[in-house]
Amino acid sequence: MTSSSSPSRKTLSKIATNRLQKELMEWQLDPPCGFTHRVSDNLYRWIIDVIGAPSTLYAGETYQLQVDFSDHYPMDAPQVIFLHPAPLHPHIYSNGHICLDILYDSWSPAMTVGSVCISILSMLSSSTAKQRPADNDRYVKNCRNGRSPKETRWWFHDDKV
Amino acid sequence: MDSEDDMHDANDLESLDDDFYSGETGMGSDDGDGDYEFGNNASDDSDDGNLNRQQENYTVLSEDDIRQRQEEDITRISTVLSIERDHACILLRHYKWDVDKVHEAWFANEESVRQTVGLYENPVARTFSRELLCGICFERHPCDRMCAASCGHFFCYSCWRGYVSTSINDGPGCLMLRCPDPPCGAIIGQNMINLLASNEDKEKYSRYILRSYIEDNITSKWCPAPGCEYAVDFVMGSVNFDVSCNCSHNFCWNCTEEAHRPVDCTMVAKWILKNSAESENMNWILANSKPCPKCKRPIEKNQGCMHITCTPPCKFEFCWLCLGAWTDHGERTGGFYACNRYETAKQEGEYDEAERRREMAKNSLERYTHYYERWATNQSSRQKALQDLQNMQNVQLDKLSDTQSQPESQMKFITEAWLQIVECRRVLKWTYAYGYYLPENEHGKRQFFEYLQGEAESGLERLHQCAEKELQTFIDSSGPSKDFNDFRTKLAGLTSVTRNYFENLVRALETGLNDVGESGNQPTCSRSSSIKSGKGKNGKTRTIGGTTSRSLDDGNHSHWSCESCTFANTKSSMVCQVCHRRR
Repeated sequence: MTSSSSPSRKTLSKIATNRLQKELMEWQLDPPCGFTHRVSDNLYRWIIDVIGAPSTLYAGETYQLQVDFSDHYPMDAPQVIFLHPAPLHPHIYSNGHICLDILYDSWSPAMTVGSVCISILSMLSSSTAKQRPADNDRYVKNCRNGRSPKETRWWFHDDKV
Repeated sequence: MDSEDDMHDANDLESLDDDFYSGETGMGSDDGDGDYEFGNNASDDSDDGNLNRQQENYTVLSEDDIRQRQEEDITRISTVLSIERDHACILLRHYKWDVDKVHEAWFANEESVRQTVGLYENPVARTFSRELLCGICFERHPCDRMCAASCGHFFCYSCWRGYVSTSINDGPGCLMLRCPDPPCGAIIGQNMINLLASNEDKEKYSRYILRSYIEDNITSKWCPAPGCEYAVDFVMGSVNFDVSCNCSHNFCWNCTEEAHRPVDCTMVAKWILKNSAESENMNWILANSKPCPKCKRPIEKNQGCMHITCTPPCKFEFCWLCLGAWTDHGERTGGFYACNRYETAKQEGEYDEAERRREMAKNSLERYTHYYERWATNQSSRQKALQDLQNMQNVQLDKLSDTQSQPESQMKFITEAWLQIVECRRVLKWTYAYGYYLPENEHGKRQFFEYLQGEAESGLERLHQCAEKELQTFIDSSGPSKDFNDFRTKLAGLTSVTRNYFENLVRALETGLNDVGESGNQPTCSRSSSIKSGKGKNGKTRTIGGTTSRSLDDGNHSHWSCESCTFANTKSSMVCQVCHRRR
């Protein structure tokens, strides 16, 4: 995993590995409520089951989050998307991309997978309508070649939903 | 002939017999170079004042000047507020380098300023243990290997370094870097950066601070010329936006396009957009992006809700549909995903209109091509004249002063003439953009405008001819010629007359030829006519504006307006004084 050649990248990779191991350990001891981490030997890709919170539009429904970490984690935000089928939500595209500021511009290395998960659950819980973003079709078409949401310039964050 | 003209000994130019040429250099011309020695005629009224004002309404700053000013501002704030220089710099950045604003805000409510900016006096987190958990790598470190911003949130050095370097390499947004602890707003200043960043990153960071001093400050801008490193500091509220950078680039401070009097910035923007609208690129941008309402960078929206946040450092939040501030949105505008301002406006046809205008961008191509070709021709003529001017200064003047056995200092009138040609080409160029946007249905104005433009063109041709062809004979001659002094008088006279004509033209166009076709009987008090009449020279007030305001609908029929050029002639004359057309 620490195969890159430049010394700075190597240290960062070591940092990333150490930090992810600690996060995983922490998670196993005390998983955030409503989330299950699927066991895998890939430290750099986590698949997490999300269960909709009771008495919300998504109560009882299960969705899957895929969290990918780069070598620069936690300086770089992880890439977080919903696996198919993604929940119907005004900030979630049908290809699973999520419009949430802490995943992009507002990411801080002091955040964790756990805190991201809780933000996403809270975003789901406060939704008042099960619908796709207005420009879903156009965006999804633009992303056809497997473009990462992190390559998108997200101009929009809305903390109300 | 007004008396000013006599001063130029321009009497040999019988053809220029109309008073149009007698205009005073009221406002200084926009070409600062050497306009003034020649403008002796500018001595009899307020022009000295204008001259001073023009020289003082902006300052060109080199990188050293910028650093010096920045240091001075920081020192002032740091002394007056008794805070560290680092903190003073942070405050200034936050208040866009406006020293007065910092003072005002700080002394009104220091605590609230500290909160907003993120300069905490007392750490919110305090700890006394010898070992701490770093919130980024989740390792325990001894306290002396960790540090914190003013908030007291400790992170280890290696995580800090990663954090700071990632941010600096992300762009100028790093100037607003805050403590990594998510809800914490403590600002990271340059001292901390210098402690944590690599030399290369420190250098980048300090450049961002320098840039911020020019780019965030509302009174200064970089010179837009390619490769130019000067900035221009402008005295806000000045009427004349034309500035001349030390790199010799003349530009409009307001819109940073090249100097463009007599047309205004809006028209220039429209024209430039129009010129490039023919390219696929522009069509695409028009159709797919909108400029940020605050910083004007084009934004492509390819996904997401209508709540747009521009990238740092702008960070303006607005609604994509109506381009209004997002703070105005909410339940009132129909919820966060609809903007009924837009919907209402759309129903009222406002936006349909805008959309249709985009569609029609390519229509009337022929008319556009006509004006564009002439605009572009004058542009290249101007470039050519600039080259000729340089050649003249570097080679020909030397030769000339040799053959005519006169010192080079006596040849200044030739440089003056060429500078005037360059300036006239610039004005003439922009009159074509002006003509393109002059409404078709205002026949009176159009006719008058085209007449003025025609006269300007032939006047300039005369000058150009004289400065090029006639001068050549003197350069080529074998010995001193006795006609040379006559030539000097002629060329100097032509230069001055042409300058006056163009300055009047500029002023008349700037006031929108608004004296033409107005229904009122009284001459309107436009800028041009008031400057003229203020002089009160033998009662003649015929400028472009002043004259024609009387030409139409003049109730007492003491004048008649020429059908061809619209000049208001006195009733007694049967032939137009300007174009000699019979009544």
